[in-house]
Amino acid sequence: MRMTIMRALAAGLLTAAASFGSAWAGGIPAGYPSSYADLVKAAKAEGAVSIYTSTDSAQAKALLEAFSAKYPGIKIEYNDLGTNGTYNRVISEAAAGQVGADVVWSSAMDLQMALATDNYIDLYVSPEAKALPAWASYKDMLYAATVEPIGMIYNTKALPEASVPKTRADLIKFLNDNRDTLRGKVATFDPEKSGSGFLHHTNDARATSTFWDLAKAFGAAGGRTYSSSGSMKETVVSGENVLAFNIIGSYALDWVKQSPNLGVAFGTDYTPAFSRVLAITKGAPHPNAAKLFIDFALSRDGQNALASNGLPSVRTDTDKGFNLATLNERVGGNLKPIALDEDLLEYMKPQVRVEFFKKWKASLAGS
Amino acid sequence: MATNVDNSPAVTSGSWVQPAARPPYLRRRLDAAPFRIGVIGTLAIAVLGPVGLIVYQSFLDGPFFSPRSQLSLDAYRYILSDPSFYEALGTTVLFAFGMVAVAVPLGSILAFLLTRTDIKAKKLLEILVLMPMFISSIVLAFGYTVAIGPSGFVSIFFRETIGFVPWNLYSLGGLIAIAGLSHVPHVYLYVSSAMRNLPSDLEEAARSTGAGIWRVSRDVTLPMVLPALVFAASLNILLGFETFGIPLVLGDPNGIMVLTTYIYKLTTLFGVPTYQLMAVVAMVLVLITLPLVYFQRRILRHSRRYAALGGKGGRTTSLKLGRGGQVLALSLIGLWLFVAVVLPIGGITLRAFVDAWGQGVNLMDHLTLANFDNLMSVPSLFRGILNTVLLSVVGGAIAVLIYLLVGLAGHRNTGLSNTVLDYIVLLPRALPGLVIGLAFFWVFLFVPLLTPLRPTLVSLFVAYVVVGLSYGLRLLQGTLIQVGPELEEAARTTGATLGRTWRDIVIPIVRPGLVGAWALIMIIFLREYATGVYLMSSGTEVIGSLMVSLLQTGAMDTIAALAFISILLTAGGLTLALRLGAKVHD
Amino acid sequence: MTELVVNNVQKWLGGLQILKGASFTASRGAIVALLGASGSGKTTLLRCIAGLEQPEFGYIRIGDKVALDSDKKIALAPEQRNIGLVFQSYALWPHRTVKENVGYGLKLRGVNAADAGVKVQTILDRMGLGHLADRYPSQLSGGQQQRVAICRALVYEPRVLLLDEPLSNLDAKLREEARYWIRKLILDLEICAILVTHDQTEALAAADHILLLKDGRIVQEGPPHDIYSNPNSFYAADFLGANNVARGNLTTLDGTRATIGGEGWSLDGTARELQGLAPAASAQAVIRVEQISVSDSPGPHRIEMQLDDSLYLGDRWEYRLRRGSFNVKAHGTRKLSPGAVWCEFPPESVWVFPASSQA
Repeated sequence: MRMTIMRALAAGLLTAAASFGSAWAGGIPAGYPSSYADLVKAAKAEGAVSIYTSTDSAQAKALLEAFSAKYPGIKIEYNDLGTNGTYNRVISEAAAGQVGADVVWSSAMDLQMALATDNYIDLYVSPEAKALPAWASYKDMLYAATVEPIGMIYNTKALPEASVPKTRADLIKFLNDNRDTLRGKVATFDPEKSGSGFLHHTNDARATSTFWDLAKAFGAAGGRTYSSSGSMKETVVSGENVLAFNIIGSYALDWVKQSPNLGVAFGTDYTPAFSRVLAITKGAPHPNAAKLFIDFALSRDGQNALASNGLPSVRTDTDKGFNLATLNERVGGNLKPIALDEDLLEYMKPQVRVEFFKKWKASLAGS
Repeated sequence: MATNVDNSPAVTSGSWVQPAARPPYLRRRLDAAPFRIGVIGTLAIAVLGPVGLIVYQSFLDGPFFSPRSQLSLDAYRYILSDPSFYEALGTTVLFAFGMVAVAVPLGSILAFLLTRTDIKAKKLLEILVLMPMFISSIVLAFGYTVAIGPSGFVSIFFRETIGFVPWNLYSLGGLIAIAGLSHVPHVYLYVSSAMRNLPSDLEEAARSTGAGIWRVSRDVTLPMVLPALVFAASLNILLGFETFGIPLVLGDPNGIMVLTTYIYKLTTLFGVPTYQLMAVVAMVLVLITLPLVYFQRRILRHSRRYAALGGKGGRTTSLKLGRGGQVLALSLIGLWLFVAVVLPIGGITLRAFVDAWGQGVNLMDHLTLANFDNLMSVPSLFRGILNTVLLSVVGGAIAVLIYLLVGLAGHRNTGLSNTVLDYIVLLPRALPGLVIGLAFFWVFLFVPLLTPLRPTLVSLFVAYVVVGLSYGLRLLQGTLIQVGPELEEAARTTGATLGRTWRDIVIPIVRPGLVGAWALIMIIFLREYATGVYLMSSGTEVIGSLMVSLLQTGAMDTIAALAFISILLTAGGLTLALRLGAKVHD
Repeated sequence: MTELVVNNVQKWLGGLQILKGASFTASRGAIVALLGASGSGKTTLLRCIAGLEQPEFGYIRIGDKVALDSDKKIALAPEQRNIGLVFQSYALWPHRTVKENVGYGLKLRGVNAADAGVKVQTILDRMGLGHLADRYPSQLSGGQQQRVAICRALVYEPRVLLLDEPLSNLDAKLREEARYWIRKLILDLEICAILVTHDQTEALAAADHILLLKDGRIVQEGPPHDIYSNPNSFYAADFLGANNVARGNLTTLDGTRATIGGEGWSLDGTARELQGLAPAASAQAVIRVEQISVSDSPGPHRIEMQLDDSLYLGDRWEYRLRRGSFNVKAHGTRKLSPGAVWCEFPPESVWVFPASSQA
């Protein structure tokens, strides 16, 4: 192992020396194969990388800028299409033989898994894969680029920090005990309208035994459902809602910095986390640039850039924002990232899905 | 002088035989047939292609491009047995009729006050009352959230002064009220033009028999503007069925869903695309709205006839309101304007310049320009603004030219091609923009020669042209019809071909109208948001669709900034339109 | 020289036949008037000649060009027919000056600007419009607009000039003037002109030949004098002139000599349409107002009538006369007191038609 690294390092240095003075100023990072310079060259020849994603361009800004700085010749075409938009467009374009995406980067882990198993994704062994935990990649096709806790936000003016529920059981009890004062003032994702919400809820349903109790307590409190984290934040900040749970905690960690009356909390007993998953499409118009982008996004620099924009790193060796380790500390030590495996597909089956929705609606209706 | 009347029956009776029925002797010569058929044919393809795709998709059990998809009625079966569908349908019907119940009486009162009375500041009011029409409903919705949502600044004011908030924006009633108030101009436009054409001698005659003013309004004025009222009502029902922005934003918290948002939800519901289900709902919408559109055009044709009969009714004596009446009328209009324009625009403007708001937040502490930082630094947002301007200013101009060509192709045209034109114009009107955008996405994805255009603004432009077809064409047709037929015939008999006549006579005469139409189309394109949702891609972002797309993650700071920019652009467009003398009054 | 041939032109509008086989010819230097009430098809016929309407059947030749031939499937567009058309509303193009309006036809015919300018100025000068060349139509009076419209239609020397009620938008005084100068102009320029009018005076005064239309059919044609004094149908007789109509029964019929009578009155007259005319059958007679003379003594063809009133018309007096169911208007130069008078009806001026005569 050590030998390989050493050898790779040596090769890298050699290549770096060889390409010294060439247009590429970055050098081959440690651990990369010696042929990487060719990849970079090919990518530059392609000149562009097209990304279909569900991540706001504002949040990806630091990553994109860092990539552009490192590989100035490669233009990024960044398409924020939402989770379903991303998935739909990838499969439509594949069917039309008009593949437009090089990189698919989506927070809908289940949809990404569906793309991988349905043969829309190309194989690529990223040299950065070694730095990722085992759960964060799938069969050389999918790579988790972030780890984002799922948590709760609350209005600090309406809910003092002391009475914020700390565990799942606390939350259920809190909802049940304060049913009347909270009436119409609790929020969560609508799983029918939001892919993220669907993932968060179904993951809970798979991983915990208390999800349906929570759903019932939420329903009994007249809770309201939203299609995005942002709109929930808006309502909690303004006091329209007292708290919102199962929201994207990485956003929340950022929001609390600006909004004095917004608090964020994570389950100390159990904090699930999802990832934004990277993949290269089959038939990508710029396959080399795509590889370069994935490698960069998973690299220490790329991860630092993401984390600096509020998307915690899936690595443990980064120093900006949160990384896997520091995040675990922040949420109370029970971070349980959703693994990239085929279990994600369970709720892709229409039958199971419809069943889930039925049960969800029934719980909300209080039956 | 050699004149004879050789065949006239009066002279040589019997030599002349009258055929029993119209003989098919000589087919009508269609002037400029290649042009007319070419234009109408192209348009038919542009409209029927995407629409046909939707129809086809609705009869499949999977995406039409999937080799595994088969003809099936499963999608219909699913939708027609889905309780959520019926709930959405019921809500839509309630919503549409509720909107009518709010907008029609208010719009009529407004029209009455502004056309038949001596209300003060008439000129200014005539422009102001149209404002809500030009703001995109998604911007309105965001604005209302900030203004009168549960934690809106007006709501907080009420809570602090009277202890509670006497409304609920997120209820169906709230949605209806908002939608109704913002659709008042649509009613006002039609009813006021009908009222303007009313000869006042009818009213005077009735008054001279001793009937009071309200009685006259009820017994004389009302029946005469009834066609316009019915038209306005049916238009509102139609708009109600297709409304998307308001229920998308305001219906979300309480899960209030109408058919358009139900379609939108279907994108997510199964994780994988259920285009067949979306297509089925679109079909249902078409089946409901198409008869409505057809009915509407018929009324319009009839009411035009009435207006023509009224002819010289321009001289109307206005009703004296008196001091009390003035105050009452002006405050009524003022209140409506406050609710329909000031509140939402104020709300969105405020939101654009703060990073937090609501209960217990001192807005002064949160004033910021940071929301606009992103617009400049994030390429897609900046491009979105540029693209929107480009699409509305340049695209709007090209669209006017296209509508002009279509208008000319149908101008003083009879026969089959014109009937075709009539119907293809109806179709896009009956479909929600969201679905048309999706259909065009497919068209540009799967039609070989068009694929290179997909990542360019051309694809959006084509979709916009089709979405705006019915409005734009009506605008152009209205302008063209004002050119007296003899002016064209005079050119023809002088020796000009039809093309030459259009170029030398018709177009120069309607030029001022074209400029006005351009400004109005510009505003329509500016506020469009649903069409681009599925169609836009990197490089072709537009403000409206960006807002819908950003709503998925809920980046409210950015949305507010974009909405604010959108309002600024609209205001600019409107100022330009008025400068150019656009006839906002139809 | 025959410039226009119209043969058996038929046109339908939906299921309704609005031209039922009109035929006539017209030559240079003469005016043919298409005269008829509204709905008679006169304007439609004119528009068919112009090519603005397309008949389903028929043949039209303008100059040496066949403009319409339903057998050969020929139907030329208006611009190919080399005609000039003056519209009732004048249809001057509001965005063009007088000069540009008039010069347009020359421009279309490829006449170079300098020649066109001269021609336009010449014709405008001739019409007394020279000084208005740079004005816009909206800055002209009605009479001036009309003359510009005529200049526009004439300047390129069309084979046929079509005038659609050109005088109806002028006030009474101007109309009489225009009637005269239009006729003079056309005769001077030796143009072939077709004039559509509903005004019999206009047709009689301006035309060389009148076609009287009714229900899409030419019911009578001839020179003005002929048409006026020799009508061959009740319609033709009644349409022209100021008339008295007597309705009664035919008492005797001998050749063309007929007697018509009613309750307490009887008139000798001339049968002008024999078909449907039989003794004892109901009949009607047309008597031109100016043919009746009123006197205070009996004489041949005079009957005694009751004078109810005399109305002063300025240049003459109008008498209202009555005998039983028979009411008559007559003119005279002096006021008569009410009472019994004698009216003379010359038999050649009492035109007897069958009561059912419609055509």
